[in-house]
Amino acid sequence: MLAKLAFLAAAASLSAQQIPESATSLSREVKDVFGRCAKAVVKIEASDQHGELSGTGFFVDPTGTLYTAYSVGGEAENVTVEFKGKKYPARQLMADLRSGIAMLKVDLASPALPIGNSDQLEIATPVVTIGYPLDLAETPSFGMIAGFDRKCFGGYFPTKHLRVNLPPQRGEGGAPLLNLKGEVVGILLYTFENNSCYALPIEAAEKIRSDFVRFGEPRHGWIGANVAEASAEVEGSRAVTKDIMKDTPAAESGMKSGDVVLQIGRTKVHEPEDILDASFFLTAGDVVPITVMRGNEKLTFSVQAGVHPASRNVPRLPDGTELPASAALRFNRVIPLNLQSAPERSP
Amino acid sequence: MDEFNDNEITKLLRLKRYEQPAPGYFENFLHEFHRRQRDELLREPLWRICIDRARDFVFPFNLSTLTSYPAAVTAVLVCAAVISLRIYQTPQPATVAAKDRPVLVTPASTEPEWTLASPVATRVFNTRSLRSMTKSAQTHRSGTPRYVLDSVPVSYETTFKF
Repeated sequence: MLAKLAFLAAAASLSAQQIPESATSLSREVKDVFGRCAKAVVKIEASDQHGELSGTGFFVDPTGTLYTAYSVGGEAENVTVEFKGKKYPARQLMADLRSGIAMLKVDLASPALPIGNSDQLEIATPVVTIGYPLDLAETPSFGMIAGFDRKCFGGYFPTKHLRVNLPPQRGEGGAPLLNLKGEVVGILLYTFENNSCYALPIEAAEKIRSDFVRFGEPRHGWIGANVAEASAEVEGSRAVTKDIMKDTPAAESGMKSGDVVLQIGRTKVHEPEDILDASFFLTAGDVVPITVMRGNEKLTFSVQAGVHPASRNVPRLPDGTELPASAALRFNRVIPLNLQSAPERSP
Repeated sequence: MDEFNDNEITKLLRLKRYEQPAPGYFENFLHEFHRRQRDELLREPLWRICIDRARDFVFPFNLSTLTSYPAAVTAVLVCAAVISLRIYQTPQPATVAAKDRPVLVTPASTEPEWTLASPVATRVFNTRSLRSMTKSAQTHRSGTPRYVLDSVPVSYETTFKF
């Protein structure tokens, strides 16, 4: 009996010691991430038609290229970046309304955050963000992945977004979402209720950056098919093509209404919402294999993606209605790199 | 005090107790005072009396009072000048703001278009910028900025089109 009591007491004391130990370890990891990554996170100030604005951004390469939210750098001018206590003028490289991000360029040698992999994130994976809330200094926030959503606020995101349970604050739009290795896995874009927010997966931002590097602008692709939910599952998919638009790559490739979509590129399709992810990563001009079930026959089409309406400067209302040309906005703004600029040097 | 003891003092006071001035003494007291004052004055040399009279004629006021007036007037004028300078001084907002934010001084059209310069350099956007900037916007950031974190997405996807 005494031995049992002694064992229980020892176990209790051990568990009591372990809880603070793990908390301390976690705190140490967060501190480590903050210490390593904060230097690549910058405060962005600019002005737009509504007045002055302030947000956050972060460097992704050593030549001063940085990501931020579209709301921060997408339509602003007189952009300055505060880095190491000094303010540098920045210019807009690219702004993409569909993904909600913008890329800026500061002419200096900069630290850069390593790019991570958001596919490795799971529910309850701990994450850290570093931003500039209000007029305060760089501030870490700690939270966890709460979900992977495609639909919210009564509409659909262009691709899967990371729902993160951490307390975002005003001014942190464009802040990096980091895993505990200090790698960027997302970009903080929207707040959601209390102590929760949405981040664009870093792969989506990198797709846009890849387009910019290749073509000097984002090139969202599409093939011209409209998908609905099938009544029955076929080969694990419920995404059936409802109609194929005329004079589109889908029509020219031979796809027909009623085809059940199984795979687009490397993305397997199980339900209509999967189309969003697959569609977002299409690049206009690229050839993508599309596998469908037509009756009992599995067919694969090689389709060259066309230019998505979002890249054609066609303004749309949230319900998809196209606005007249007179109300046109420039959705994707691009200022090509000037390759004849002077060689870089550190400040 | 050693020469008088208490008895002698008492005796003296008792003796003086009944002494009275001559009749009319108090009525003539003022007249007698002025007469003695004039006598004292007439003992001064004639030249000094003349100088005093001349001075009193030329400077009817007190000399020290007269010297205090210019000092007071000067002080008032100096204060007025300082206040007016502060109120009506022409402001130079562009210069002041430029000192606060040196990176935004030069207009956007300055060539070359953009260079990899130090933070104190004055290149802003290149000439191909899609937006025009006003000078005031370049030199001023006033008031509280809008701290950005959207509550709704900047764009929605329509239907499941791809």
